Amino acid sequence: MRITILTRRRLFLAAIVAWLGLSAPGAIAQVGGLPTNVKHTDSSPEWELLREKLFPGRSIESAASMVQLVVPLRAAYGASVPVRIVSRLPQREGLYVKRITLLVDKNPSPVAAVLELTPELGQADFETRLRVDEYSHIRVISELSNGELHTDSRYVKVSGGCSAPPNRDQLHNIGKTLLKIPEGIKAHEPTAVDVQVVHPNDTGFEMNQISLLYIPAHFVRSIKVSYAGRPLFDAELDFSISENPAFRFNFVPGAGGELKAEVVDSKEGRYGTTLRIP
Amino acid sequence: MAQRFESPEAKAGVSANGKTSRSAIFRRFIVAAGLATLLAMPAQAGIPAPYAPIVIQPVGAPARAEFDLTAVLVRARRENKWLYVYLGASDCPYCRKYEAFLEKNAIELVPHFSKYIVVDLRSSLSVTTDALFIRIADTSRPYVEFQKSIGDERTRTVVYPSVWLLDGKPKPLMQMPAGTGTFQTVAEQLEILRLEQ
Repeated sequence: MRITILTRRRLFLAAIVAWLGLSAPGAIAQVGGLPTNVKHTDSSPEWELLREKLFPGRSIESAASMVQLVVPLRAAYGASVPVRIVSRLPQREGLYVKRITLLVDKNPSPVAAVLELTPELGQADFETRLRVDEYSHIRVISELSNGELHTDSRYVKVSGGCSAPPNRDQLHNIGKTLLKIPEGIKAHEPTAVDVQVVHPNDTGFEMNQISLLYIPAHFVRSIKVSYAGRPLFDAELDFSISENPAFRFNFVPGAGGELKAEVVDSKEGRYGTTLRIP
Repeated sequence: MAQRFESPEAKAGVSANGKTSRSAIFRRFIVAAGLATLLAMPAQAGIPAPYAPIVIQPVGAPARAEFDLTAVLVRARRENKWLYVYLGASDCPYCRKYEAFLEKNAIELVPHFSKYIVVDLRSSLSVTTDALFIRIADTSRPYVEFQKSIGDERTRTVVYPSVWLLDGKPKPLMQMPAGTGTFQTVAEQLEILRLEQ
């Protein structure tokens, strides 16, 4: 078969087009074509589905008047995105935050945490760290004791959080649970507490680079914290919580008692600790 | 040993009837594509010239790669500017991608870098977390310790490429992500320069 001059020109043109096609995407869209011009308050197809499933037929106030989500636009690592939930309502008998749901729209398992709260917290603020797998909204839905729902959301630009390998040098300490009072006790006032569980919180999406098999999911499923025998919060969790799951929360120290954390993981491992409060 | 002789025409890919052979056209196709790709890449590894980078080469090889920030910090304080510190590796494809992005969009981006002194730390992928050191005045710290000393969360492992936005102390102007993949569009690079959290 003869190759004509016209064909040669077409081949050359094809080379140029191929080159342009290879080099152009980085300049016009984020790697992988991830959307970059999304507002924090935007909806998403995933959120619309979740909303219908988790809160069917209920109206959700989004004016950020009762709850605020504080998350950086970009975090150091997708596997550890710091998240702060700030409640605008004092946690008192009568009207209080009864439940907090934390979602990551685009994660393989988007419901990161559901926390059942009591007025004993004094202030329903929480801090934790999340895995975020790709550019996504993070949402908090705060349900008050009168049934009202309030939400706030932030769009974050990180990726790879669910397949990033956790630090595995503490596997011999798996389940070790720590309770700390980071800023000292404030008698009869909301006092910050940190609870942390040493755990890889494996997602099931990390590949073992030697065996090329996926490491099975193994994560902290629940953390229950009480003070002087009265529950503060029960958290149902998922692998969207970062390795070594940690929460900062509040309680109101009174006449003294024991802070107690009970932890269960997805392989029915049971762990816990206590901290005596004078 | 048998030798293969080729006529000058065959070497040129021209057959006896004056037509160019398919293999010759394929070779030209490959050469053309290669040349086009080379033209699209920055002339050499590193931040493109329009950004007026101050290039810092490492010292202490092969045991370590130590980058001395002392002089650029002094200059930042003197000129009341911030530092845009880029750590790239000569053999890192993601670094070339970011540099190519900067080069391609230089006309639009360079004016927005005016409050920054761009610093280009030239490393290689063989320089891993333990071998990377940052020196400021008399103190040289390994990567992890340096990160902790300035309050940067990226303490796990060194990632190529990396960017720090620092003031003259040096303290981070904001927490930066590992890698540059989340700011390789003009709009997102501007978010970074504007310190949008």
